[in-house]
Amino acid sequence: MSSGVIGTMAKVLRFRFSRGPELKYLSHLDVLRVFERALRRSQLPVGYTRGFNPRMRLVFGLPMSTGLTSDAEYADIVLEREISCEDFVSILNENMPVGIKIHEAAELIGQENIMNLIKAALYSITFETDRRESEIACMISDLLSQNELMAMKKTKKGFRPENIRPLIYRLGLANKGNNTFELSALVSAGAEKNLRADLLMEALSRKYEFRPNILSIHRKALYTEDAGGWKDPIEVTDGKRCPD
Amino acid sequence: MRINLTDDILLNVQKPAKYTGNEWNMVRKNPGDVDVRFAFCFPDDYEIGMSHLGMKILYHILNRREDTYCERVFAPWVDMEEKLRENNIPLYSLETYTPVSEFDMVGFTLQYEMSYTNILSMLDLGGIPVFAKDRKDNMPFVLAGGPCAVNPEPLADFVDFFVIGEAEEAINEIIDEYKAWKNSGESREEFLARVAKIEGVYVPAFYDVDYNEDGTVKSIRPNRDGVPAKIKRRIIRDLNEADFPDDVIVPYVGTVHDRIMLEIFRGCIRGCRFCQAGFIYRPLRERDHEKLLKLAKQSIEKTGYEEISLVSLSTSDYSRLPELCNALIEYTEGEKVNLSLPSLRLDNFSMQLMEKASKVRKSGLTFAPEAGTQRLRDVINKNITEEDLFNAVKMAVSGGWNSVKLYFMMGLPTETMEDVEAIGELGIRLIESCRDLPGGKSLNITISTSCFVPKPFTPFQWEPMDDMETLMEKQFRLKDRVRKNRRITYNYHDARVSMLEAVFARGDRRIGQALYKAWRKGCKFDGWAEFFDFDKWMEAFEECGLDPKFYANRRRSFDEILPWDHINIGVTKRFLQKECEKAYRGEVTQNCAENCSFCGAQGYKTGICLGEQRSDRNNG
Repeated sequence: MSSGVIGTMAKVLRFRFSRGPELKYLSHLDVLRVFERALRRSQLPVGYTRGFNPRMRLVFGLPMSTGLTSDAEYADIVLEREISCEDFVSILNENMPVGIKIHEAAELIGQENIMNLIKAALYSITFETDRRESEIACMISDLLSQNELMAMKKTKKGFRPENIRPLIYRLGLANKGNNTFELSALVSAGAEKNLRADLLMEALSRKYEFRPNILSIHRKALYTEDAGGWKDPIEVTDGKRCPD
Repeated sequence: MRINLTDDILLNVQKPAKYTGNEWNMVRKNPGDVDVRFAFCFPDDYEIGMSHLGMKILYHILNRREDTYCERVFAPWVDMEEKLRENNIPLYSLETYTPVSEFDMVGFTLQYEMSYTNILSMLDLGGIPVFAKDRKDNMPFVLAGGPCAVNPEPLADFVDFFVIGEAEEAINEIIDEYKAWKNSGESREEFLARVAKIEGVYVPAFYDVDYNEDGTVKSIRPNRDGVPAKIKRRIIRDLNEADFPDDVIVPYVGTVHDRIMLEIFRGCIRGCRFCQAGFIYRPLRERDHEKLLKLAKQSIEKTGYEEISLVSLSTSDYSRLPELCNALIEYTEGEKVNLSLPSLRLDNFSMQLMEKASKVRKSGLTFAPEAGTQRLRDVINKNITEEDLFNAVKMAVSGGWNSVKLYFMMGLPTETMEDVEAIGELGIRLIESCRDLPGGKSLNITISTSCFVPKPFTPFQWEPMDDMETLMEKQFRLKDRVRKNRRITYNYHDARVSMLEAVFARGDRRIGQALYKAWRKGCKFDGWAEFFDFDKWMEAFEECGLDPKFYANRRRSFDEILPWDHINIGVTKRFLQKECEKAYRGEVTQNCAENCSFCGAQGYKTGICLGEQRSDRNNG
């Protein structure tokens, strides 16, 4: 990982966790604190950075914005003593509040840390609208045939127009009945080019002048790029996945 | 009824996690399984309320009972209040999202006079009539306690009953009485008659207040049989026997004091004459150091907090501080937990201690000389000498600190302009004196002055507060005095807020009307500068025919009946008068560890009053 040298006994685990509706209103910083305190309670042998203000050696794949739920968040953690992935998952879960759950972990062998690895995210966006299904489907195919979709991206100084079309990889629509639809969107994510689902919806609404009432935004998967395809970040660890 | 909150509301307010509960260690019970549902209300923002130790203690004690479920309610921030009102959603508890009106008891803690309007907001938002007289049989009982309850009169119209003093035991007696009453079929008034018999409980409706023509109080008398003429403050005799939580709720959003708070003792030996806390918590009672170490370990294990802080009125006065700190430092270091040691007196021992305890950056250090001259410090019985201060600051600078904060009060009794200017001169001389020390040239001093507010049950309870013009003039003078020195920063409090604080601190029952009117005009979160609206307050007083100066700026005579004279705090009025007269003569009083001054608290027959702890200290 980025700071410090990993001792001989140390190992790095990558794990996947979900965030349910109970904790969807937490900010990314709040989630960080939840993990740090749960790890302290668990007494798992977490590694710390050296120096004046030691920090846990824990890195998250992608920040979660307030309001988002997710099935697939990833983090890398340094452990200073041998502990099995199974034990890690079950011990940490015992110390997690309702709403965050660790699902699997694998030892990370000679890999880059998770933060630089995430390249794409799959979102499921549920919304209500009075438009017909055919209209929305047209809208989507029209968008996918274009080279440009302008969005107002928030920056430190205000808003800046940006073409987000290159960041959209795949869009799909499902009718959920009662004027409710689910848009699944595979978009660019990560440290370099990140497209937030709410920004995508905002740009869509502006371009096609429709006013969807967004009911939920859910992250279904995060991917890394490997040998030309999207891969599960646990799969690329080369470690044994557990629990299977 | 369980309140349903939509994204539409929660994603459009700041920090929505303040309104959703579900934190680690939150108590979960089935409301159907308990006899008594208690809503513990903190009349300020979640981030302030969740920093309050008293709430954590009572939450723990109430929830230990199988027959009771205590839940938390905080004042919603203005954006959330707006959303709640817009959507007709009543104020609810964080544990089960139950509207406040569905609880059996709704208890408020009174930590600060300027949060009183929030109490009315919370009752109103919760669907409970704000006036006690308007509450019907099926409605909750509204109770209140905490330090400001020592003068309950300004809230007498709104609160059904008060608990004066420490509530750990009284609250259990109240719950027991509630259960008995609930099965009895008696009226609402009969419940109040039952609790009025519990020591420390005050039911304002059972007392009549008469006034003299000049507006002062003529008499405060019970209007029925079976209630005491004087209400005696409750205390916990032995802190080691008292229940203390080690499984406190760990919030998600950062709070003001986001750490474990370890209460090492209650009360204070010092007797600074301006300080209400120094009198209303007497006598000093310590918690055993071995018990504290055990509590610290359990708390760290059960919460996962990264910081623990000792809590008391004056850390240095803990008799076993070296033993406690050495053991704590050893443990917390191993656990990578920060230990914070607030309100230490600066001496060699405490410097070493801080050196050991905090390996973090040495940013700021705070001292509170309170007054600029020795004469005035003697008047207020603050036994810090100029030499102490100079030594302490030099020690701090040598120890690597380069920023020092100094707290003073302005408008103290007998204060002159010379005393005011002396504050600035003190700052300048401190800078000078450190100039030749290594690192001394980068020393910055921040001087902060608050406005002295005379409080009930202090030797200065009869004193007039400086009027706003005088305070502002003094602030201006000091500002001018230090203006040329770039190494000194000067901050001061808004004199108008302090003036209102003074009105409510020593107010009588009549000012409840002004509180109600101000709230109706939209006053809320008055302690927050961005919401404080002085003009609305003045209008409210005028409409009620009340003069704030009568309460804030008038000198009372020693024989005047004070609005809180029916409260027996333990310290006698006679002692307070004696202390006030000594203050005028500039005479200091020994602290409780040196000598007993027979203030009245010895009547509780516990803690330092027993003399054992005193001799321990003096020998050790």
